Amino acid sequence: MIYFITSVVLILTGMYAVLVKKNLIKIVIGLSIIDSGVHLLMIAIGYVKNATAPIFSKPGLTADKMVDPVPQALVLTSIVIGLAVTAVALSLVIRLYDHHKTLDINKIRKLKW
Amino acid sequence: MSPVHFIAIPLFAAFLIPLVGKVSKNLVKLIPGIVFLYLSYVAITLFPIGIHKPIVEIIAGFKAPFGISLYYGPLAAFLTTMITLIGFVIWLYSYKFIIREPIEKYYMLFMMLITGSTGIVLTGDVFNLFVFLEITAIAAYSLTAFLRDKDGAEAAFKYLLIGSFSSTFVLLAIVLLYANVHTLNMADIATKISSVPLTTRIFILILFLMGLGIESEMFPLNGWAPDAYSQAPSPVGAVFGGIVVKASIYALMRLIYLMFEFQSVMHFLVIMGVITMLIAEMSAMRQQQIKRMLAFSSIGQMGLVIIAFGVGTEPSVRAALFQMFNHALIKSLLFFAAGYLVFHSGSKKISALDGLGHDKPITSFFFAFGALAIIGLPPFSGFWSKLYVLLSVANSGLFAAVALILFSSVVEAIYYLRVVSRLYFNTEVATDVRRTPVSGLVAMGILTLVILFVGFYPNLVLHWMTPAANELLNKAAYIKAGLFH
Repeated sequence: MIYFITSVVLILTGMYAVLVKKNLIKIVIGLSIIDSGVHLLMIAIGYVKNATAPIFSKPGLTADKMVDPVPQALVLTSIVIGLAVTAVALSLVIRLYDHHKTLDINKIRKLKW
Repeated sequence: MSPVHFIAIPLFAAFLIPLVGKVSKNLVKLIPGIVFLYLSYVAITLFPIGIHKPIVEIIAGFKAPFGISLYYGPLAAFLTTMITLIGFVIWLYSYKFIIREPIEKYYMLFMMLITGSTGIVLTGDVFNLFVFLEITAIAAYSLTAFLRDKDGAEAAFKYLLIGSFSSTFVLLAIVLLYANVHTLNMADIATKISSVPLTTRIFILILFLMGLGIESEMFPLNGWAPDAYSQAPSPVGAVFGGIVVKASIYALMRLIYLMFEFQSVMHFLVIMGVITMLIAEMSAMRQQQIKRMLAFSSIGQMGLVIIAFGVGTEPSVRAALFQMFNHALIKSLLFFAAGYLVFHSGSKKISALDGLGHDKPITSFFFAFGALAIIGLPPFSGFWSKLYVLLSVANSGLFAAVALILFSSVVEAIYYLRVVSRLYFNTEVATDVRRTPVSGLVAMGILTLVILFVGFYPNLVLHWMTPAANELLNKAAYIKAGLFH
């Protein structure tokens, strides 16, 4: 249960950072925090108490004594994707800083609807 | 021959391009063309098979509910063929248009984007769908910032911010779905979804709608579109309008039709479609820049597609697919023509286009042709799809929606004809010694011919779209083919 609560708290913290903060770097950090929250949620869903890794390593080890491997596989993929997005985001931030000499989103906002 | 080529070959090319770029820049330009020629060969071979009996491709030997499978049914056949065709003309157009370095990065990202969108269309696994969505999205962010200017970076960052939110929602939805049904295969989920409590289902649906709605330009989540379309290089605008958005709307509709076919969801889609269309057309009306105008028009057309999907009868889904096809063709043509008009006039402003119709008759002709086609004048293909959408909506008794579609068509006609009249009926003749390259003209010429051909023989295309529409509507057949092949 604690994992679920933590993951929701993480997601909300990240959203707060993305929506409220004015600094581009902090916004990118917020995106990463949201990602971490979702990843924790995924792991928590597959978690089984007192279970081991899903490998038939010992005799007598049955499937109900193992954690669900699928969410773990998903999390791995998702972490890699998150990394790629963060990298692209940071490179865009660098370029924005080069052009504007500031990281304040209010001073950059030139394009409008 | 197997549908996996649609994903594997562009992906391979994307990794090959930077290596080849070390040797020869001219070779880099040719690789995407070879890829598209090969893909069209695959499409032509597979199309007649897939349209009758879906091909289910098992990846790495794990059977359906456990492994990832590709589902090449009539709908996927139609969409992959469309992506290949549009991709090919975009490559042809880019051949002389993208002359800025780094060329190999442009083509690499373009190939990644093709990989992602064909993947979205083909996959039968929700998590795999998410991965392909992200591949598409990351390539799209980078392409938006390709021109390295101030506004490009800003538009790309905005797009990235909204896009990451959307992917988080999609991922959350997938996780919740998995927690409830313990499977990721779409056909398998569809069989088990009825055991999930209704509130959870609706929550998952909302997450999916928010996530995929952003990519498919649904109101009010489309704030990224005008900036991204107008700041990216012109062929990339065509990529967004012709490929990315089409793949995302497919994903959204596939999930809704498979898992959440409640009556109220369909009503919601119709309402959102109408709002999207009206607001976008009104915004397009007051744009000063030509590419922003095209972007809003693209959102408006997607609104029309969403309405037709929301009506949910067989003729209306078919009309929606037909409209998607036509919009992909015509909007690409418009972006192509607008790209060179902007290039010749040296400004993105509509007011700078005065008299270009006399100076650059061919490019202007293509723009005017596209404008007339998208408004929906007869002999062009846009006429038929709009007509079929209107007929199917009217048959379902939604006369308010019919009236609003007609109204927005009038608005559309006004702002497109305003641009066309500026091109032709202004005596002030601008001159630009640079010529439009042949490859660009050929690309536009191909699109023009296809639009005319479909306009004269709409039944030929509609004939192939009937099985595609049936596939989307017939959930049981999808489950049967997806699980017990």
